[in-house]
Amino acid sequence: MEVRQAADRRAQIIRLFTLLGGVYFFAYFLLPESAIEAIGLKERHEPISNGFIAIGAMAIGLGLLNLVSAHGSRLAFRKKGWVYSLALLSGLFSMIVVTALQWRQSLAATAELRKIQVVSDFAQRISQDAEGQKPAPPLPTRIEALQRYASEQLSALDVGALSPGTSDSPLRGELRQSAQALREKISVAPAESGEALTPPTKEWLEAVAKAGSKLGAALSAYQRELASGTTVQQLYSLLYEGVFTQLGAAMFALLGVYIASAAFRAFRIRTVESALMMTAALVVMLGQISLGRMVSDQLPELRQWLLEVPNSAAFRAIRLGAAVAGLMLAIRMWLSIESRSFSSRKK
Amino acid sequence: MVGFEHATPGILCMVLFALGLLLFELQRTSRGHKHFIRRIPGIDAVEDAIGSCAEMGRSVVFTTALTDVGPVLYACLGVLHSVAKRTAGYKLKLVVPQYSPEAMAIVEDSVRDAYNDAGRGAAFDPQSIVFLSSEQFAFASGYMGLVHREKAGAAFLFGVFAAEALVLAEAGQQVGAKQVAASVSPEQVAFFICTCDYTLIGEELFGASAYLSREPVQVATLAAQDRLKLLFAVLIALGVACATAKELVPGLAMPEIASFFSADWSIFAWK
Repeated sequence: MEVRQAADRRAQIIRLFTLLGGVYFFAYFLLPESAIEAIGLKERHEPISNGFIAIGAMAIGLGLLNLVSAHGSRLAFRKKGWVYSLALLSGLFSMIVVTALQWRQSLAATAELRKIQVVSDFAQRISQDAEGQKPAPPLPTRIEALQRYASEQLSALDVGALSPGTSDSPLRGELRQSAQALREKISVAPAESGEALTPPTKEWLEAVAKAGSKLGAALSAYQRELASGTTVQQLYSLLYEGVFTQLGAAMFALLGVYIASAAFRAFRIRTVESALMMTAALVVMLGQISLGRMVSDQLPELRQWLLEVPNSAAFRAIRLGAAVAGLMLAIRMWLSIESRSFSSRKK
Repeated sequence: MVGFEHATPGILCMVLFALGLLLFELQRTSRGHKHFIRRIPGIDAVEDAIGSCAEMGRSVVFTTALTDVGPVLYACLGVLHSVAKRTAGYKLKLVVPQYSPEAMAIVEDSVRDAYNDAGRGAAFDPQSIVFLSSEQFAFASGYMGLVHREKAGAAFLFGVFAAEALVLAEAGQQVGAKQVAASVSPEQVAFFICTCDYTLIGEELFGASAYLSREPVQVATLAAQDRLKLLFAVLIALGVACATAKELVPGLAMPEIASFFSADWSIFAWK
């Protein structure tokens, strides 16, 4: 009895959230953009949509659990086809381990890169705050802080990516040049740095932001070059680009063979319908190639007419029918008007 | 004209009309009104295919392919429920390969319910709902392997399909499975017609569930969508007639049917 009550409460909560979600998205779709901005929904829409994406992402764990449980038990009890399960689980765990190692490796690089990018962001922020007269510490203090922070980061770069021990390459040379450019910019303080933002100070801030951004791009490229030589990255490339992508391409290539075999079966003229299909297919195929024009000048036009008139009409009819049916079902889902097939409270 | 992101008053009227129509049909059906549903051979073939699997002792495969959570999945679940109930009754093995982890949880619930309805709840095996991959061609290759290993007697392909449609259907063809496909993707319908025994086109997928179960809510939805489609057919015919009349008689004042849907909120001085 208690189990039934709990299930009923669960169903009610699901219905409530479905209704509220439906109301929100319907209102967002319905209201004109000006009204959405006026009630402040525009800036809240992205976090709400991200929330839905996050819920969807959680479901990936369900898929992973299902795979491990289904194939793990087949492997453990040596059921029929256990070798395939072993191959699948080996592939799965290898990919998880290699991706996790690659992610861990990239953490330090991302942190180093972010510190450099902050130089550019900081310079832009100072300029924007001063222009917008937003409450902030005095301009000279902020400029001094920017200079200090940038030189600290450049010193860190000198003992890190640009340390004498590391191997030389064109990208490293570019990084060194970008670092030197930023160093030159920050060493020359703006001519007049009073409380108000003067054009020379604004120009200097823009130049620092640009140099910081260029240094960030150079560091990112150099980091990618360094990472590509590591064992982890090479393993990742082998598994993803060397195996996974190639197998996907092989499956796609199978389509060519299957289209031929399906066409052979479908185009055997046994009924009026298959004769019509065969004729239409022949016209479309011949109209597509130069041989078609040799057979008749009218074939390409006939092909175009077949695609644009009868074919488009059929497509539109299918799409309209499916859209109308989908709309009705969506309304039913929104209002939780459930059929007995989906309701736990059946009999 | 307002972009796709935001609706117009005409679309609001249309949605409200659809809502009213659905509620009206639900009310009418609950009062005992019987709707006629025409015979669809493809749906009858679902029952025949399961019957022949029972005779041969072969398993049944049902896939919703690339279908994510939404109205199409909901429509597929109605058919899956019916298929699962019958396979449970015949004590057949049902395998439901999955592409979307979100849909998988819902599909599992639906199949479990069907087994309970058939009085064979204990026979439900959660591992029959197999997650293959969220990658299109990895899913297709997993499906091919599964159909070959199981030597499926019947394969039902319902939902949204893309380039993998033919790969899936050919796999069933290779093991001699009786196949029924239903897709809302018109580009894939041609492939299914070539490869499967029966193909349900577009909205027939939505009607299949009502046809199999004859449940009042589903039948009422089917009736409401038919009425709405009829309205659209009338609007299309009117639009064609008005456009033709304008072409034939220059200067003739005729209403613009499309402007009813495209006029934005500025007509209410609210832009």
